[in-house]
Amino acid sequence: MKKYDSKIKWLILLPIIFYCLFLIVLPLLYIFIISFFQNDYYGGIIQVFTLKNYFQILDIVYIKVFLQSFLIAFMTTIICICIAYPFSLFVSEKKSRYKSIFLMLVIIPFLTNSLIRTYGWIVLLRKEGLINTVLSQLHLIDEPLALMYNNLGIIIGMVYTLLPFMILPVYSAVDKLDRSMLEAASDLGASKWQRFIHVIIPETLPGLFNGSLMVFIPAIGYFFISDLLGGGKLMLLGNLIKNQFLVARNWPFGASVSIVLIIITFFLVKLYKKAGGKMDDLGGF
Amino acid sequence: MNKKIIVILIVAIILLNGCALKESSNVLNVLNWSSYIPDSVIRDFEEETGIIVNYGTYSSNEECLAKVQSAKEGTYDLIFPSDYMIELMIKRDLIQKMDLSQLTNLGNINPNYLGLSYDKNNDYSVPFIAASVVIAVNRDLVTDEITTYQDLLSKDYRNNIVMLDDQRIVIGMALLALGYDMNETDPVKLEEAKDWLLELKPNIKAYDSDSPKTFLISKETALGVIWNAEAALAVQENPNIEIIIPEEGFAVSIDNFAIPKNAKHVENAYRFIDYILRDDVMVKIIEDYPYKNVNKKAEASLPESYLKNHAANIDDAVFHRGSFVENIGEDIVHYDKLWAEIK
Repeated sequence: MKKYDSKIKWLILLPIIFYCLFLIVLPLLYIFIISFFQNDYYGGIIQVFTLKNYFQILDIVYIKVFLQSFLIAFMTTIICICIAYPFSLFVSEKKSRYKSIFLMLVIIPFLTNSLIRTYGWIVLLRKEGLINTVLSQLHLIDEPLALMYNNLGIIIGMVYTLLPFMILPVYSAVDKLDRSMLEAASDLGASKWQRFIHVIIPETLPGLFNGSLMVFIPAIGYFFISDLLGGGKLMLLGNLIKNQFLVARNWPFGASVSIVLIIITFFLVKLYKKAGGKMDDLGGF
Repeated sequence: MNKKIIVILIVAIILLNGCALKESSNVLNVLNWSSYIPDSVIRDFEEETGIIVNYGTYSSNEECLAKVQSAKEGTYDLIFPSDYMIELMIKRDLIQKMDLSQLTNLGNINPNYLGLSYDKNNDYSVPFIAASVVIAVNRDLVTDEITTYQDLLSKDYRNNIVMLDDQRIVIGMALLALGYDMNETDPVKLEEAKDWLLELKPNIKAYDSDSPKTFLISKETALGVIWNAEAALAVQENPNIEIIIPEEGFAVSIDNFAIPKNAKHVENAYRFIDYILRDDVMVKIIEDYPYKNVNKKAEASLPESYLKNHAANIDDAVFHRGSFVENIGEDIVHYDKLWAEIK
């Protein structure tokens, strides 16, 4: 790598600083400020200080929305973990040429827009969709299975969309595992399951936390999946925020919900750091 | 390496952004509902007048409001808000008075749709197209007699209804079913509406405003409470889908031409409106998007398929039994909360 002198370095950094400042910091600041303003119920903002928007979140109805979102996000995370570990252990034992092919397969879907992939699931899951048609042609089912327009559909969509975010960090942790430790565990009489619980999990904890964070947080906000695959019947935090801006015309309330969500995210990241995770690992793989 | 590429991309985006908007005097900046006017109509207009149309879209009145409010004044020359949004935009001083004498084809409009409650003298708006909420029933799957929203509560329709994803329409429907006004704000009556909707809940398969017709066409659901144009398109696919006008009442909506305050190309906006109001142009639009036509002169040349389609061609007398969604001020908070409760 060539060393840049500091002027050129600044010049190169300038667009990124500009980008962060104007497209991330300032809008967030704006959201933060309007979350303390009143709304005029016609989409306008009255610049009078109030904490009303934050008290409104404490209403049982909105707390229910928070809980529903966390439940869906939690289940999504658990299922992703259950898929990511076997996959990672399987791939890490392969030759390096095959490893890269498997990892490539994980990443390839990202080349298509996630909204389009979600529409793809509709074709598969709906009442007269591919899965139901095949199953009933094979006489395995009499009635079409209810695979979507319910919570199952939401979970399928979330897991599918977010799985790579779990697989990649878990895989990189599993791949770095010292094989001799696993052998030692076996030599000392550990069963496969004991080896997994007492050696693999503790040794890959940072990767597990990293992946969980990257799955859990987006899962709270992905409103289009609950709209498309859940039939819009379950209101998640993402839906609630979107509604405040686009339907209820209550920007300050929408802003305050967003701020609470950001605070929760910060809290989770803190937890992650406390558990020994590194911030650099969150940035990429 | 990666970071370098990102830097280059960001610089490129910033530079390209600067050249994207060419300022020219002969343009028209339209902000319209998505899928509402066929591209061919826009192209014909450009060819005929030499005006270049910049076309933006939105998918709800609130989105339109947000875009007009947050953009620099004069960004848009022509928008298409619905009834209640016209009223709101007049109040907020976002749209300007119209000079109706500029519109030679104004006489084509069915007078039934002029001077309505939201803009009594059409000072600010000219009607473009109308829509009404109907019940659609797939007769291949359901043979019972259905005349009211109340009938939808039947236990036979478990998980078999597609509903508009619109809090005012759905809560309004519950209020109508209970015999109240669609825009009721009394908390006691809203509480009753909530119970009614909770009773209906197991029958609802999905809330969808974007393409509820798909549910009916693919037999995902046998019933739907949807806008008439969506129902009309479903009927085109499956003639056994029957349209029912609910006895208790129903929501209607009229979309209008309106010119934002300080628009830069007002002349061009009038030319565009006048062009759309021409009967032959309106026929082209209605053929693609079978909403309720409000252009009297166009009626004569509408295709048979439209006239025979009861979902598309809602009778004027029937239409006037419907109610508009009204601005209810801070009471919208109750609606919003109720919506979160029933979902």
